Amino acid sequence: MLRPLHIALLELKRYVGTPGELAFSLALPVVLFALMYGAFGGETSFHATAHVVDLDQGIHARALIGRLDALEEITVRERSLDDANQALDRSAILTAVVIPAGFSDGFGGDEPVAITFRKRGNGGDTGQIVEAVVRSVVQKMAGEAQVRATVGSVLGGTDIPQDRIDSVVSRQLSESRQNPILGVETRWLGGDESDPIDRLVPGLLVMFLMFAVTMNAQTLVDERQNGTLERLMTTRLGVNQLFVGKFMAGVFRAVVQALVLLALAFVVLRIGDAVDFIELTVFSALVAMAVSAIGLAIGSLARTRDQAIWAAVFITMFMTVFGGTFFDLTGAGPLDLLSKFTLTRYAIDSMFGMLATGQTLAAQDVGIAVHVGVAVVGLAVARMLFRVSEGGR
Amino acid sequence: MNGPDDFLTAQHLRKQFDGITAVDDVTFTIRRQEIFGLLGPNGAGKTTTIRMLSTVLSLDDGEVTIGGNSVTSEGDRVRQIIGVCPQELALYPELSATDNLVFFGRMAGLSGRDAKDAASENLERVGLLDRAKDKVDNFSGGMKRRVNLAISLMSRPQLLFLDEPTVGIDPQSRNHIFDTVEALRDEGMTVLYTTHYMEEADRLCDRLAIMDHGQIVVMGTPHELKTEIGDPATVTLETVFLELTGRSLRD
Repeated sequence: MLRPLHIALLELKRYVGTPGELAFSLALPVVLFALMYGAFGGETSFHATAHVVDLDQGIHARALIGRLDALEEITVRERSLDDANQALDRSAILTAVVIPAGFSDGFGGDEPVAITFRKRGNGGDTGQIVEAVVRSVVQKMAGEAQVRATVGSVLGGTDIPQDRIDSVVSRQLSESRQNPILGVETRWLGGDESDPIDRLVPGLLVMFLMFAVTMNAQTLVDERQNGTLERLMTTRLGVNQLFVGKFMAGVFRAVVQALVLLALAFVVLRIGDAVDFIELTVFSALVAMAVSAIGLAIGSLARTRDQAIWAAVFITMFMTVFGGTFFDLTGAGPLDLLSKFTLTRYAIDSMFGMLATGQTLAAQDVGIAVHVGVAVVGLAVARMLFRVSEGGR
Repeated sequence: MNGPDDFLTAQHLRKQFDGITAVDDVTFTIRRQEIFGLLGPNGAGKTTTIRMLSTVLSLDDGEVTIGGNSVTSEGDRVRQIIGVCPQELALYPELSATDNLVFFGRMAGLSGRDAKDAASENLERVGLLDRAKDKVDNFSGGMKRRVNLAISLMSRPQLLFLDEPTVGIDPQSRNHIFDTVEALRDEGMTVLYTTHYMEEADRLCDRLAIMDHGQIVVMGTPHELKTEIGDPATVTLETVFLELTGRSLRD
């Protein structure tokens, strides 16, 4: 019963026991990921620090700082006035936002107040953007204050208590911030209405999972050529146990690679949450199962290492190129049709669905069925084709 | 005729590959606790014979029983009582000597603790206990051969197949292997030993069969074979082979 597990553990020991191979197989995905990170930038939007001097410390000053800090593109660093001036003097910073004393009293009392931008020169490119962002937040706050004042003046003479008016207006303004009447949306070049990173991450992941075809194809041929396969077949190990062990090893190796890539993608590119991570890992294991079975089928058929490698490379390249690894081929005529004969198409469609459109793993019925089907058929074909040696079992 | 002491009986073995007969009507028996040699040049059919006996190759014709079990119909039971040391170094060079032995021990059905104990015991037997944790890849050719032999002992076999176990190794490792094989025989193991080195067969084998072109040319003790040709004090097995086949063993 435990023999397949020992075969799988042996494969892992051999994998880990060859530092070159280990480093190579893990480093390559990381290098490609780094290229992708460089191309698309890990930070998908502008980000800068706003240096703020709060001389007021009142409720509205704190509210302004809180709203600035809540913005993804801004991190607030509070400084004293002296500290900010010194930093400006030595050009350590080029722009500081000063909230004057009395800001909250004036703002709450409907008196004109102003924040100040202290700048060195033109404030620098980043400083100018920060200034624009701060201005937009201040203008929003001013608009909201205007609404409060208007509502207050209209309902001031009625029986409605003032705190009730304030509460309702605050709730309305909050909802308005969450769901603005006038919104802004982003569309990426290429017509795909999603972040390209949502397609590139599954593409890269599936591509590396596909490479496992070659590794799994080689493992049987190598064992046959080294004589260890024949030796194993003179022990109590059965052929089916051998296959299960090799299959498990292939899946485990591929999942390790997938985990490295997914962890990088989630941490650096912030592409999803913990549930997405788990679902993508589980789906990667399904892809690894199918890929491992294909590799074993090739290994069973091939008689030499070269045959195994060339067959595996051909299949991998076919699936990578025609499976729509980095481009959606839906509606692309013959290419669309061709892609439906590749695992890549179904793997990426499912992963993209989970990552970009919020679908769950359970909703990937087609993807799951295809991969489980290929794994089962692949293993059956591999077992049928397998011979320990010419003229043997 | 089978005798009561016969542990292995091979009758009329035949094997063809693509129309070429590799083993042709081979019949012999191996008695319990003897070292039986198959002596012959490369391509004589020694390895093919061992592969059939060890259940790796199917038999085109003939019958083999080992310990009363048919190789054809009771392969699983046969594999429980044999150990095979193949001609090639069938081991995992990325792993340590111990890891190699423990793995094959597990494949032979030993528990984790038993496999570790057996690994230490067999590495000591082949003189490599002090290198147990070293990667096999860093071993000399002779040391790898000894690991190859130690692996075949992990299943504590009753019958050990040794296929040219001393090819290409230094005299020290060769002598170590000789001593090990003799010790195993003295402990009760039965051994089938193939070689194309006459002096090895002469030194180790209780009985031997000389093979050529897939057939057994002659069979007997080294002394009997040499006596057939002349004075056993001066005749060598090389001379016997030359006399019977008309060519040298190394041709």
